[in-house]
Amino acid sequence: MTPAGVPGVVETLEANGETTLVVDPARIVEACTHLRDAEGFNVLADLCGVDYLGWGTKEVAGYIGTPAGRDLNAVGSQGFQRTPASKPKRFAVVYHLLRVSDEPARVRVKAWLDEDEEIDSVVGVWPAADWNERETFDLVGITFRGHPNHVRILMPDDWEGHPLRKDYPLGGEPVRFSGAE
Amino acid sequence: MALARKLPLVSDRPAAKAGLRTERTLWPDRGPGVFEQELEQIEDALGITTVEKAVAWAQSNSVWPDTFGLACCAIEMMSIVSSRYDIARFGMERFSSSPRQADLLIVSGRVTHKMAAPLRQVYDQMLEPKWVIAMGACASSGGMFNNYTILQGVDKIVPVDIHVPGCPPRPEALMEGIVRLHEKIRAGVPPAYEIRGVAE
Amino acid sequence: MAVVPATRIYEGTRIPSPCPTILEIDPAQHNLEDILTINFGPNHPSTHGVLRLIVDLDGERVAGIRAVIGYLHTGFEKNMEAKTYWKGITYPERIDYLSFQANELVFVLAIEKLLGLETPEKATWMRMCLAELNRIHSHLVWLGTSALEIGAISMFWYAFRERDMVLDLFEMVTGVRMHTRYFQVGGLAEDIPEGFYAQTRALARHMPHAVDDYEGLLDRNKIWLERTKGIGLLSAEDALALAQSGPMLRASGVDWDLRKAAPYLAYDEVDFDVPVYPNGDVYDRYKVHMDEMRTSARIVAQCVTRLEEMRGEPWIADDRKVVLPPREELHTSMESLIHHFKIVTEGYLVPEGEAYVAIESARGECGCYLVSDGGTKPWRVKFRAPSFAALQATATCVRGTAIADLVAVAASLDPVMGDVDR
Repeated sequence: MTPAGVPGVVETLEANGETTLVVDPARIVEACTHLRDAEGFNVLADLCGVDYLGWGTKEVAGYIGTPAGRDLNAVGSQGFQRTPASKPKRFAVVYHLLRVSDEPARVRVKAWLDEDEEIDSVVGVWPAADWNERETFDLVGITFRGHPNHVRILMPDDWEGHPLRKDYPLGGEPVRFSGAE
Repeated sequence: MALARKLPLVSDRPAAKAGLRTERTLWPDRGPGVFEQELEQIEDALGITTVEKAVAWAQSNSVWPDTFGLACCAIEMMSIVSSRYDIARFGMERFSSSPRQADLLIVSGRVTHKMAAPLRQVYDQMLEPKWVIAMGACASSGGMFNNYTILQGVDKIVPVDIHVPGCPPRPEALMEGIVRLHEKIRAGVPPAYEIRGVAE
Repeated sequence: MAVVPATRIYEGTRIPSPCPTILEIDPAQHNLEDILTINFGPNHPSTHGVLRLIVDLDGERVAGIRAVIGYLHTGFEKNMEAKTYWKGITYPERIDYLSFQANELVFVLAIEKLLGLETPEKATWMRMCLAELNRIHSHLVWLGTSALEIGAISMFWYAFRERDMVLDLFEMVTGVRMHTRYFQVGGLAEDIPEGFYAQTRALARHMPHAVDDYEGLLDRNKIWLERTKGIGLLSAEDALALAQSGPMLRASGVDWDLRKAAPYLAYDEVDFDVPVYPNGDVYDRYKVHMDEMRTSARIVAQCVTRLEEMRGEPWIADDRKVVLPPREELHTSMESLIHHFKIVTEGYLVPEGEAYVAIESARGECGCYLVSDGGTKPWRVKFRAPSFAALQATATCVRGTAIADLVAVAASLDPVMGDVDR
């Protein structure tokens, strides 16, 4: 089922039995308010950010070795059967909405953002977005305009960088195997 | 009542050297009280090594762990208190939330960089002698999480006596680690902070 | 019966504004000079893990509260981006470490959705059976620790006695007590051992009596009732606005259970009731947990009956591009050897796309949002953690309670910090 008449929708996609509404980020609060009030999606199940840097760059499949051992931090080290469809911008903020009522339904709302673009916070629409937006800011680095408490949540307060970005290394220590060198 | 002669300091006595502390050892100028005088008589009668062994036996049978459960290993640590695995037979059922009253820090679970400072604070608040068991793969070496946020081994910040492998270790495995710690104490092995410091 | 109740527990909304998760001191009600700020955690026996609450107290009343989390942030999602799908299944279990198989299940279901893979019926029913046993396990640990924190210390030993029985079953089937890693893409890792059926049936018969025992200890205990009734109120509207799910939502009167509303696995083929209680306090959440244990035992008994009929059937799908071949074949068949090699070293390819799968774990809606670029490793995995949402409701639930009740409310939210911090 596809919610119709949602303001700001750029595109509607259907795949795997799920509906995705791609929304213009400037009109996200309008779209979310409409979905909550007119369509009845009263629960924001999830809010997250996805970084698509390096999407579709063909790499060696599986293991990437260097003289010091396995390279955990190589971006996109996977093999494809065909190159995936390209994405319009680097970041996507994804909202998963749920309608808790006698006719349950789910919908996904997606907003594409560039490097330094900001998006409005939907805390006024669903209070549950509070910590989710903080987490998205902390890990992916997306700024939410109008968030009442826009600070890091999971990483220590003085952490630099946004760990879930694709150009942030996985970190950790190199594992040395006995007898390797 | 003024004392006619100068009594020897309590901290020189074998029991004190073996690890038995009373408050008077923190006040070295003070002479021995009734308890210490009686202990002196026992020590002179029994000889030095037996006193050390007695102290070590007493310590090993009453190691009070600190409630430092972090993640999944904490659940298995709780299950050693349960009736099937019963840590009470070793005198350890009294988990103390206050580190001041705890002897053993069982670091059970993955330690993040954010949690490393509170962990060290809790360890520092414990009174000597104190032991540390790194329970599970994550506490011993970072486990399966070789990444930006997990401390790769808690022995980077606290000296560890026993590492217990497993993810999570079975309650029997943890108890094996605890029993080995008791054996270490009884054998006279000093706690880890005396032999080695923190790992590199 | 309507899903959302018409009656309200309190008028209006208690969600603090502007920030829903921070309760600010109200200068009109409290003299600011009387406020004492205390730090509750992260190392504390009653915070269910490494949760830090900064509490402003006016005497014994909680005037302000804010939660600081992140002390257990493990970087699951980033780590899983670096592992193939087969290796990655080991990770989600450690997220919500009390209902570990639920996390594993949701990840495996998301991969199977993208692959379009059908699992055999035996695997579906066994997954359901283990998921319900895991729900019982999670509720038992919740009961033991929460009652311990509220002061009913002996409940801990009673609850853990049954918990060990459940873990014996897991060990029999999977070899490990916790973090079983038994669900594979396509079905189960191994066949079900013969002794499982009788022992599970015995547990399913015993479980309702055990729950009766627990209720006999607590239900009419005056201290328990004083400490849980009327504490930590959360109305249905506020619960939905704060994205609550699971026992939190059902105790506030909302008749919502994903097993009934959007059935997955074979939940539409088993007969069970969903407990819903109207008052939205700690006592109702406790009752929901107890009734869910009974419900799960009933589902487990039905699963075992069905599984016994399916002895000898395949437990994993036949698609050799995704599922490892049986080991005996590796000696004789070249294709099996190559498939095994490719799946283990490179990993299987999952078609490009994204999927969101949600199940009803012991804590509520556990979801996995999986983005795949057609390769062997996930591009992005996001776990919708029910405890994360539950903790956001702390500031709403503790309005006007005393510091002693804060522990009871925090316990009733059932947060698992691995789930909150991921």
